[in-house]
Amino acid sequence: MKNIYRPIEATIEDIVVETPNIKTFVLKAKEDFSFRTGQFIELAFPGVGEAPFTPSSDPNIKDKIDVTIMNVGRVTSLLHGVSKGIPVGIRGPFGKGYPLEKFYGKDILIVGGGVGLAPLRSLLFSLFAEIDKYNRVILRYGSRTPKDIVYKAAIPEWAKRKKVDVVTTVDVGDPEWKGNVGLVTTILKDLSLDLKNAVAIVCGPPIMMKFVVLKLIDLGFAHADIYLSMEKNMSCGLGKCGHCRVGKFYACKDGPVFTFDQLQGIHDIWD
Amino acid sequence: MHTTYYIQAVGLDGFINKLKKQFRVFAPLEKAQERQKEKDYAYRQLNGETGICFNPYRAIEPLKEFFTYPQETVCSYFEQDKKGTVPSNTTDGIALRGQSPDMIIFGVKACDIAAHKVQDFVFLEGVEVDSSYRIRRQNTIIISGDCTDFKRVCHCLAWEILPHPTEGFDLNLSPLNDGYLVDVGSLKGEELIGQYKDYFVPAKDTQLSARRKKRENLIDRLKRHLLPQNLVPRNRVQSLMKEGYNLDTWKEFMRTCVECGGCNFICDTCHCFLLSEKKEEYINKKIRTWDSCLYANYARVAGGANPLRSRAQRLRNRFMKKFDFFVDNLGMPACCGCGRCIEVCPGKIDIREVLKDLASKLQK
Repeated sequence: MKNIYRPIEATIEDIVVETPNIKTFVLKAKEDFSFRTGQFIELAFPGVGEAPFTPSSDPNIKDKIDVTIMNVGRVTSLLHGVSKGIPVGIRGPFGKGYPLEKFYGKDILIVGGGVGLAPLRSLLFSLFAEIDKYNRVILRYGSRTPKDIVYKAAIPEWAKRKKVDVVTTVDVGDPEWKGNVGLVTTILKDLSLDLKNAVAIVCGPPIMMKFVVLKLIDLGFAHADIYLSMEKNMSCGLGKCGHCRVGKFYACKDGPVFTFDQLQGIHDIWD
Repeated sequence: MHTTYYIQAVGLDGFINKLKKQFRVFAPLEKAQERQKEKDYAYRQLNGETGICFNPYRAIEPLKEFFTYPQETVCSYFEQDKKGTVPSNTTDGIALRGQSPDMIIFGVKACDIAAHKVQDFVFLEGVEVDSSYRIRRQNTIIISGDCTDFKRVCHCLAWEILPHPTEGFDLNLSPLNDGYLVDVGSLKGEELIGQYKDYFVPAKDTQLSARRKKRENLIDRLKRHLLPQNLVPRNRVQSLMKEGYNLDTWKEFMRTCVECGGCNFICDTCHCFLLSEKKEEYINKKIRTWDSCLYANYARVAGGANPLRSRAQRLRNRFMKKFDFFVDNLGMPACCGCGRCIEVCPGKIDIREVLKDLASKLQK
C-alpha cells in the first residue's frame, strides 16, 4: 500500500541566483515525476523541514523540475545555504493547477508580483508550447526594485515571441532603471482586451492580488475569469492536515488556484 | 445484515476471555472516583483476569487515539549510511502487521461512532487514502454499546445523534436483564459470532421490544436534561456561523482560553496534524503530530504572515471548521455532542454556550 507521506529522492543539479534573496533550484528526481502547471510540491530538506512550492519550469520537460525560492523562512534559508549535489525529498504533485483547456482561444492576461512570477513562468512555458491554441498572452510584472526582478534574462526574450506582450514595472527605481515605476496596477491599462473572451491569472503577495483583483473588476473582468493563487501553509498537501482551509475548500487539494468566483462569500481571503 | 442475538452476562465474560487470547482487547474501565465528580471510564488493555465493566456512557478519551497517535513516525526515508547501504531493520512507520483484525475495542458509544464518520472522511476519502489509518481501522473490531446513562455535558441529541449505535459497529451490546442483546453490524462481527456461536442465542421479539422501551426511556431522560439548556438545533448551526462571523462572541469567549489545545486533542472529530522532519543518525524521519487550531502559529506561513493572528480569529476558525466546512463537505457538523471539550477546558469555554451566545446576539 502506498505511503502518502514518503518523499521521492531528487538531487539539486544546479542553483541559479535570481536576486539577492531568490534562487532557482534545478532538481532531478530519481523516480518518474511529472506535474501539471500550477500544481505544487512539498520539498523536504531531509530530516530538517519541508515546505510547499509551485515549480517554475516547463511541465513538458520531464527530466528536471525548477523551483524558485525566496529566502524567507526556516526551510528556505537552509536551502539557500546549500550547494548543488545534495539530495532533497519531493512529494506531490498536489492540487489542481491551471485549467489550460479553459484558456483556449482567449486573451490571457498574466499579472505577477515579485517571486509570484515563479508559478507563472511555468504557466508561460506551457502556453508558449501550444501558442497557436491561444489568442494572446499579456504579461504584466511588478517587483519591488530592479534588483528584485526574477528571470531577468528571460523576460526580454519572452517579449519577442509572437502573440506575447510584456510590460514590467518596479515599485521603486534606481539610477540605472529606465523602465516603469509604480505598482503593478499602474500598468494594467491600454490592454485592448476582448473582455468577453479573456481570462486574468494573478500570482503575488496577498496585498498585491487584492488590489489587482479590484482593478480587474474595474476593467470589467467577470469574477469567474480571474484566477488567483491562494498560498497557505499546506503541510500534507492532501486535504488531511487541515491547515490550508479556505472557506469550504482546502487550498492544497481544491486549489491552490481558485477563480475569484469560487472565493465569493469567504471571509478574510487576503489575510 | 442486522441480526440480533442474546448473550448472558456470564457468557459475555467467557466470550471476552476467549477474545483476550486471540486479540488485544481494550475496554473502558472505571477510574477511581473523585469527590463530587461523575464516575469516569478510561480505556485500558484487558490483561489476565480483568473483565469488562459495561460503561454507561462514553470513555474519557476519544476513539481516534486508536487510529492516529498524538505523535508518530509516518515514514523513514533515504535510509542510507555513508557507504550507501540500506539497513534492513528500518520500517515505513506503518507497522508491517497482518491483514486480519488484531484489536478489539469495547465500550464505544454512538457519539464516538458518529465522530468517526469525520475521521474516516478525512483519512480514507479524498485524493489519497492514509494507509496507516486504513490498516488500523481494518484490523480493529468495534464492539459498541448502548448508553444507559449520560454525563452532565452529554448533548448528542442536539446533533440528532441517538444515544445508542445504529451503524458503524461490528457488534453492539444492549444491556437487558441479566445479559445483553447483540446486534451484528458487519461481516467482521458476523465472523466473530460464528466463531463463538455457543455463547449466543437468537434474540426473542419480547427482548427486542423490552430494549426499545429501555432506549426510549433513556432518550426521554436525556431530552428532559437538555430541554432547559435551550441548545442550538442542528439545522440552525451553519447559518449561525455565517451570520455570527463578526460578532463579539469570539472575543468574549476567548478571554479565558490558555491555548492548551486540549479541546482539539480530546475532540473525536478534530483531525489536524503537522508534519515535521527529524534526523536520527542516517535515517530521515517524517513525524506526524496532532496540531491545534488554537495555537498561535497554526496558520502562520514562512515570512510571518498569519491569517489567524488574533485569538478570536482562532476560536472562530475552530467553529467554522466544525459547523460550516464539514456541513458543506460531509453533510454533518463535526461535533458529536460528547462534551469532552467542555470537561477538559481549563478556561471553562463551553461549545454549547458559544453557539447559544451567537444565537441570542443575533436574535436581538
